[in-house]
Amino acid sequence: MSGRDQAPLYVESPIIMTTVRVVAPFVLTFGLFIMLHGADSPGGGFQGGVIAGSVVMMTAFAFGIDATREWIDARAIVGLTSLGVLTFAGIGLGAMALDGAFLQYDVYAPYISHASKYGIELVELAIGGIVAGVVVGLFFVLSAGFGHADGGEEA
Amino acid sequence: MIEHVPVLLVVAPIVGGALPLLVGLLTDRAGWSVATLTLGVHAALAAWLVATVAGGQPVVYEVGGFAAPYGIELVVDGLSAAVVGLVSVVSLGVLAYARRAGPHTNSFYTLYLLLVAGLSGMSITGDVFNLYVFLEITGLAAYALVASGDQDAAAVAALRYLIIGTFGASLYLLGVGYLLVATGTLNMADLATKIPQVAGGYTSTLILAAFGLMTAGLAVKVALYPVHTWQPDAYANSPDSVSTLISALVSTVAAYSLARIVFSVFTVDFFAAVPLAQDALFAVAAISVVVGSALAVSQRDVRRMLAYSSVSQFGLVIAGFAVASSTAVVGAIIHLVGHAVMKGGLFATAGIIERKTGARTIEEYAGLTDRAPVAAGAFAVLAFSMVGVPPAVGFVGKWYIVLGAVEVGAWALVAVLLLSTVLTLAYFARLVESMYFTDAPTAAEAEAVAEPEAAGAAIPDGGDAAVSPGMVAVAVAAAVLAVALGLAFPGVEQALENSLPFLP
Repeated sequence: MSGRDQAPLYVESPIIMTTVRVVAPFVLTFGLFIMLHGADSPGGGFQGGVIAGSVVMMTAFAFGIDATREWIDARAIVGLTSLGVLTFAGIGLGAMALDGAFLQYDVYAPYISHASKYGIELVELAIGGIVAGVVVGLFFVLSAGFGHADGGEEA
Repeated sequence: MIEHVPVLLVVAPIVGGALPLLVGLLTDRAGWSVATLTLGVHAALAAWLVATVAGGQPVVYEVGGFAAPYGIELVVDGLSAAVVGLVSVVSLGVLAYARRAGPHTNSFYTLYLLLVAGLSGMSITGDVFNLYVFLEITGLAAYALVASGDQDAAAVAALRYLIIGTFGASLYLLGVGYLLVATGTLNMADLATKIPQVAGGYTSTLILAAFGLMTAGLAVKVALYPVHTWQPDAYANSPDSVSTLISALVSTVAAYSLARIVFSVFTVDFFAAVPLAQDALFAVAAISVVVGSALAVSQRDVRRMLAYSSVSQFGLVIAGFAVASSTAVVGAIIHLVGHAVMKGGLFATAGIIERKTGARTIEEYAGLTDRAPVAAGAFAVLAFSMVGVPPAVGFVGKWYIVLGAVEVGAWALVAVLLLSTVLTLAYFARLVESMYFTDAPTAAEAEAVAEPEAAGAAIPDGGDAAVSPGMVAVAVAAAVLAVALGLAFPGVEQALENSLPFLP
């Protein structure tokens, strides 16, 4: 509330803007790399999701939080989170439909080669989506300041 | 399909929890319908599970088809079935209350369903690390629910709850780490066989440290004195629906987990080998009973009084577990379930009374029968049940705990329980006396107090009346259930005892 009266936090800087523009695709790729490596090496959806989410935060620091908020639709963030949850649950429940236990990846084997590996990777991507969505959502909610009772993201 | 019921109990509310946000992109008020539908399914699954387990055999499910000690196992025996049934019934019932009482946002219902998923998971898991994960899901959802109140105090209470709750969960996790180092396994049944084989057996330092850390961590979540400090603020400052839900379920399921860790992981043989651990658990519980009651007596705010009353009642439950004789444990379980119904009902009733009359303190409850007769009646029934007046469930639980204590000669528990009953009578009788036998402040005074607050409560709801028939129905149902459970429990006592094979 008091922050509104002070000088704006955002200062336009060509150096930061250019750097972020160059670095952002690499960071996003690295985030996906980490997510997809969760199946058989250190990494996974949680770490990868945070890295992918940090792309949005970098953009916000370079181009301003309000501009980024307008650029990224709030519905996209909510959708990413919810679809991540539904994908995870869908893979688990799909295995049950094929007479396996919840999340029993090997029942997909007759349909997909390396079913366990792809199954786990899809789950990691889903987790990454949830984490990225929540991190970005929390960032926007916090940056909106206090006194806004609405727009609460889930924990 | 039917063998998948245990895992569906957790998956259904998680999927349901994702939907209000998605549907929320289209409409604002979809959350309640989605939550009702999901919890309807949850209740049906829980009912099937209770009916199956009542047959005598536990239901076991291996998640992902990975075989048990390595994979995660879900195990439902009589005790977990009772708790999961309670979670299902209470969470479905509180929805009827929340429809009018709010909060109405879609994110509230997402958190609500996440909380149910976490509580269900805690109730049925057979893996100590998996229990930690569900403990955290439950905790995070509960912190956010407490913060959903619109006063500043709610945010402060939630922050305090967050810090203390995370501390408790971390202690528990540290204990799990010690157990893993000692035995190399996380599966509860596997741990029970491997702990005695550790070098040094039950008295090994690693095992003793693990026991201390895990029980201390869960004691924070149960809110035993002196680690209860998050609890009164969290209960008193959260919205009515939230305080009803979390006072009925969150500490209850944590107390269940404590019993599960003590009896299914460390087993009663551990108590036999390390009497100090048993005595320490009992001492903490006994102090909690006495100090919790004393603090409750000293409160003026009714909700804070109810919160401190929980500190004392959970002390009683844990003391019953610490005695570890089968009668006392059955009593503790009955009191655990009964307390959830009674305390949830009392918070629901306190919410109704505040909305109708603006009364929050014991003085303001004076002459309440004239202003809110039904709510006052429900409150009185629940209060007397909590004191332990037969035939209500509060009496049955305490009766079995005393019986169990006498059987094994735990006279300290008998003394603590009698003292607690007297103190419980002290704080509830004062309130009931004030409601029924003290004249209300003169009509003009009462109106002046009531009007602004009642109006203030009604406006944010956007409804025409602050109290809906559904809310009153929840309070009355809790009162009826408190009496009905008291009449029904002696019938199921044998079934309950049979489903606890881990007891001597």
